[in-house]
Parts: sequence; structure tokens; C-alpha cells
Amino acid sequence: MRRRPGIGGLQTAAAARDQYRLLGENVAKLRTDLMKEQLSTFRSQLEDFARKHKNDIRKNPVFRSQFHEMCAKVGVDPLASNKGFWAELLGIGDFYYELGVQIVDICLATRPHNGGLINLEELCKILSQRRKGAREAVSEDDCLRAISKLKVLGSGFEVITVGKRKLVRSVPTELKKDHNEILELSQAQGFVTVEEVERRLSWSTGRATDALETLLDEGLAMIDDGHRDGKRRYWFPCVSSVSSFVSSETL
Amino acid sequence: MAGNWLLPAETTSSGRPVLQPGEVESSLQPTVDLVNEENPNLPIFKSGLLILTTYRLLWLPNPESTTSAPTSKAVAVPLAAITHIFQSKKSIKGMFASPRVRFQVSVTPDGRVQERGSKSAVITLVFRGKSDPDSFVGKFYEAWRGRAWVGAVSASSQGESMPVVLGDGGGSSSSDTGFALKMPVVGVSGILRKEQEMWESTDKSLQDAFQDLNALMTKAKDMVILAEKMRQKLLSSSSSSSSSTQTNATNDEEMSSKEEMQEWLLSVGIISPVTKESAGALYHQQLSRQLADFVKIPLEKAGGIMNLIDIYCLFNRARGTELISPDDLLRACSLWEKFNVYVQTTNSLASHSALESRLIKLYLSKSSYYVDFYCSPVMLKKFESGVMVIQNKSHSDEEVFSRIRTLVQKPDALQTGISATDAARMLGIAPAMAKEHLLAAESKGFLCRDVSPDGFRFYINIFQDIDPNDLYLVKEYGIYDAWNRAAIASR
Repeated sequence: MRRRPGIGGLQTAAAARDQYRLLGENVAKLRTDLMKEQLSTFRSQLEDFARKHKNDIRKNPVFRSQFHEMCAKVGVDPLASNKGFWAELLGIGDFYYELGVQIVDICLATRPHNGGLINLEELCKILSQRRKGAREAVSEDDCLRAISKLKVLGSGFEVITVGKRKLVRSVPTELKKDHNEILELSQAQGFVTVEEVERRLSWSTGRATDALETLLDEGLAMIDDGHRDGKRRYWFPCVSSVSSFVSSETL
Repeated sequence: MAGNWLLPAETTSSGRPVLQPGEVESSLQPTVDLVNEENPNLPIFKSGLLILTTYRLLWLPNPESTTSAPTSKAVAVPLAAITHIFQSKKSIKGMFASPRVRFQVSVTPDGRVQERGSKSAVITLVFRGKSDPDSFVGKFYEAWRGRAWVGAVSASSQGESMPVVLGDGGGSSSSDTGFALKMPVVGVSGILRKEQEMWESTDKSLQDAFQDLNALMTKAKDMVILAEKMRQKLLSSSSSSSSSTQTNATNDEEMSSKEEMQEWLLSVGIISPVTKESAGALYHQQLSRQLADFVKIPLEKAGGIMNLIDIYCLFNRARGTELISPDDLLRACSLWEKFNVYVQTTNSLASHSALESRLIKLYLSKSSYYVDFYCSPVMLKKFESGVMVIQNKSHSDEEVFSRIRTLVQKPDALQTGISATDAARMLGIAPAMAKEHLLAAESKGFLCRDVSPDGFRFYINIFQDIDPNDLYLVKEYGIYDAWNRAAIASR
């Protein structure tokens, strides 16, 4: 392109540049769209193969490793067994084990947000999204059955009931850091309420209640229902001496 | 040099082979001898673990055997050096002897096994255990004929050239103005055409590959490369588009798919998972080793302690479709424990220095214990509540005790003691755990408890410093002395 002097020349050059950019953007957009399309075919094909040829894939170690690599790279879950008749009836087969692994996986992934306590309904929803390739929907009952298969590995994973909802707890008391945060919080006044914990730490109701109940069971907290505002207070005598607070309050 | 006529092979701390990139394990055989027929003077590798991979034939000293000298190392025969595999002869005599497999390798003039050596030698494998040599020979032959090691070289060079291609693609979207100006005008349509062709060919190869399983198997390598390419492009395009002006909806979608990708990338890990099929009778023993190797990194990230169920998930995720059941996992973990039990019974000090473990090993070999011997750096712990965790040994008792000891010797703690809550805050662990540790420290005699309306409080044990014959003697710079000073200062 010959360079022309003057303002006019500059303007033309700028206009041309704009044109090219527009074209470039269009091409880039087209490319992304096309690639997405191909990716989704790739994915669905892999999912199909994972389901149909599971045993053949497992027989050949070299191909198995390549298959896993493909699945990992395009984001396909290689665990896609159908429930099948025998699994439904007797609970045998890979289905519930696969489900178990996926459930723990979800719990691990969401732990930073919920502290290891997840609503069973929500868990089911995420699980179904993950398994969207599979034809059968996963029910809450399936989840419970899969979780019960994990019992062998200790009691660190359990389903608890708070109010009417079922929650899945994936962090055992021994490894839970939530309690430390509550204790930290309680240092100011010597006590906390459920509302306060929820507000200050922005936790869900279940999370706060569960943590406080555990502290109560552990003997670290004491409850006080007799206050004027009618809210239950959890006192922590271990944080600092109760007597000092009592005396300061009466004064 | 007599000992190293074979190439050395690396192993992990738990005795699993270290595989090269792209190398896949296909079969394991217990108690196999490796004998050089040409030169019987060379040391024989006796009753070790034979591992067939797609690149090499590995021989590992058997940890269970008491006969193998502790000095013997893992060795390897590259499949590339093998020039011929002999058909096993079926004879009456052969029925009673241990099954043998013979193969020819090329060696250097001084007898070392090497690719393209000038001379050749015959190596015999003698299967002593209850194994199935026929299926092994089949796999051996397949791996040798597969010539996977040839592809590995070209694949790595392809991998190097690929980013260049990707760089071109990424450059146009991120710095499109510069790109367009540099190119002559006629070039734009040319680029578009090229682009079009590329997409069509990709489409076609996708269709071809997914016709049936066999097609996918033959095209697997290309498909892996394609998958990698797509992943790269998606990641780069979504990162560049997030800065440009797009509607939020598509952005979210892209972000979520990007997250998905990254999450999945993290979850691959074990290329050659130990399976019942490949390891046979060695399944649990090998699984236990693989697990010990695997848990190191996640454990470190989690601060040295992890719920067993989390490990179960991560381990299975790393194994892809080769799931193990919870029972198998438990058994693999309990094999570590078996080792620990032996350490405690044979050595009351229970420390793990190299010298001591060698002594234990000696002791065990003399008393001909059947022990799966390797020093695993991790252990399974079961709490009274029924919760099971895996923890680093270094993270375990000794270190925690020393931290607790420094904690209770602080001036404040000397006066008022510490509660489980204090310990939890200081050690950065859950109160329930802290309580366990404090009680354990108490039982060791480091701490004394004081029960009051405020709950349990623990103090440093100064009884150890008090001499029963001279109660009023205060040793200088002892714990008792420090406590005295703290008590005086508080008055």
C-alpha cells in the first residue's frame, strides 16, 4: 500500500485499519463458533464411546491412556455407566461407584463456597448437569445409595437432616476449620447467635447451625435461651472466662 | 561393570517404576528370573517383578523375597534393542520346568544391552511363580511389534511445532490490526480460504475417527493432538474475549466451559493405573505403592492431612475409567499399616532413619518374615469417631508435640494453661483434632490437665523437673524455673 501524505491519507489509513479489524473480528468469531461446534461433536462422540465401549477401552492400556487424555482435554467425564437393571435391583456394577466418585468430586469443588456442607437437591442438580450425556436422570435416592457405598472409608461423609432439608457433609469434625472461625468471632462478646454467624461470615443457615451444634456436642459451647431478645446465644467459656463477662454485664 | 549389562531403571520411593512420557504399563509378572544365556558369568537377576511397558521391559527386585540382595537395583531392557522373540517350544520336559521365554537383544561388544549394538545376545526369562506366561508372551509380542517408542520421538517433535501453528491462530484474534496491516490485501481472502480448508479437514478427521472403535484406536494419537489444540484455542479465545465487549451471557458460558476444562485438566494424572488385569496377584501390593506415590502432592496441598474419602475421589479421578472400589482402597492403605505394625514391634523407638530401617530389614530377613517392605511416608489414621484420614508421617505426632510444647511454655500459657481452642487456633487445626492431640501429649507425659468450670486446660508438666529427694531444688533454666518466674511475675 502506498503511503499518502496529509490528513486525508491518515484518515484513509485509519479507515482501512478499522476495516481490517472488523474483518479480523468476524473471522475470529466465526472460528470460535466453528470450533465450539466441533468441540461439542467431539464431546458427544467421546461420551458415546465411553458409554458403549467401556470394556474394550479398558482392555487396551495404550488406548485407554489416550482416551483418558482426550476426555480430559475436551472436558468429558469418562464415567458414564448406565444404571442398568442389576444396579437398580441389587446395587451392583460400576454405576453407584462412579456416582460416588462424582459426588465427592462435586463436594470437593464446591467446598470453598460452602465449607463442605451441600444441599442434597443442589448436589443432584450439579450431578445431572455433569451427566447430561447420560440418558437416565439421577434421583436423590441414587445419590443416597452411592453415598452409602462410601461408608467403608470411615464416617467422614454423611447425610444429615437440618429442618426439612437433607444436607451432605463432606468434611469431618476433625478436619473442619469452620469452628475456628466461630471461636474467633465469639471472642468479642464471649457468645454468638446463629444470625450473627451467618451475617458476619456470610454462611448459609445450615452451615452455621451445623457448626454450632457440633461445638455444643463437643462440649465447647453452652446455650442460653433466656435472653431478652429471645435469640439463642451460644456461649464459649473456653475462649475466655465466663465469669469475667458475667461480672462485666451485671456491673 | 558386570552388574550393569542392563540399563538402570528409575523407581519411586515406594518402589513403582518411573515411566517415561507416553510410556504405558501393560503387564506385571511376579517372581521372574532374568538370565543372560551367552555369558553365564554375568549376574543373574533372580525372582524379581517383571513389568512390561510399551517402551521397555523392566525388572524390579522383589521386595517380598528375602533372598534378593538389598543392593540389587531395578533394570530395564528397551524394547527397541530386541531383535527377535523366540516362540516357546512345547515339550514334555517343558511341562515340569518353569516356563521360559527367550528373546534376542543387540548388545555392544563389551556385552551391554543397547539399541543397534553390533553383537547380539539371548536373554531368558524364567517364570517361577504361578503366572500365565502365554498371555504375557502375547502382550510382549504386541508391545514389541507396536513400536510405540518410535512414535514417541516424532510426537514430541510434533508437540514442539504445534505451538507455532497455534501462535498464528491466536495472534490474529488478539492483535488483529497489526496482523492485517502486515499482510497484502490479496492475502486476506487467501487466509480465509486456508481457514476454511482447515476446518473442513478437521471435520472430516473427526468424522473418520469416530466411525467405530477401531477407527478411533488407530487415530487416537491425532485425536489427542486435536483435543489439545481445541483446548488451547478455547482457553486463549475466552481469555481474550473476556476483555473485549461481548454480552454477559456468552461470556458466562465461555467462562464456565473454560473452568470445566481447567478442572478436568487437573484430574488426569495416572497414565498407567494398576489394574487387576495387568497386575494379577500383585494387584493390592502394587496399588498400595501407586497410592503412596500419588497422595504425596494432594497431601502437601491440604497441609499434611486428608479425609480418606477425598483421597478416594482424587485417586479414582486420576485413574480415569479404571475405578477402584472403596474396599480396594482400604486394603491398599492397610498394607502401609502392616508395615508400620512391624516397625513398632521390632523397634520400640519407632523412628525411621535409613540405618534403622536397614536394621529392621536385616532382622526381618533373618527371621524370614513375609513382609511387603517399603517405607511409606504416609499413614492411615482412624479416629475414635470413625473418621479415617491419611496423613504424612512428618506431620504426625512428633512435630505436633513439639509445637504444643513451645505453645505451653509461653509466659501466658505457663500461668493459665491452654485449652483445646487455643491449641486449635495456634496449630491451625480443628478444635476436635486439637483436643485429640492434647490428650495424646498428656498421655506421653508432656502435659498436665486441670479441670475447672471453664473446661479442660492443659499445663506443661513440671513434675519431671522436680527431684523427689530435694523438692525445693530449682534447676536453672529448666521448665520449673521458667514456671516459677512466670508465677512470680504475675503476682
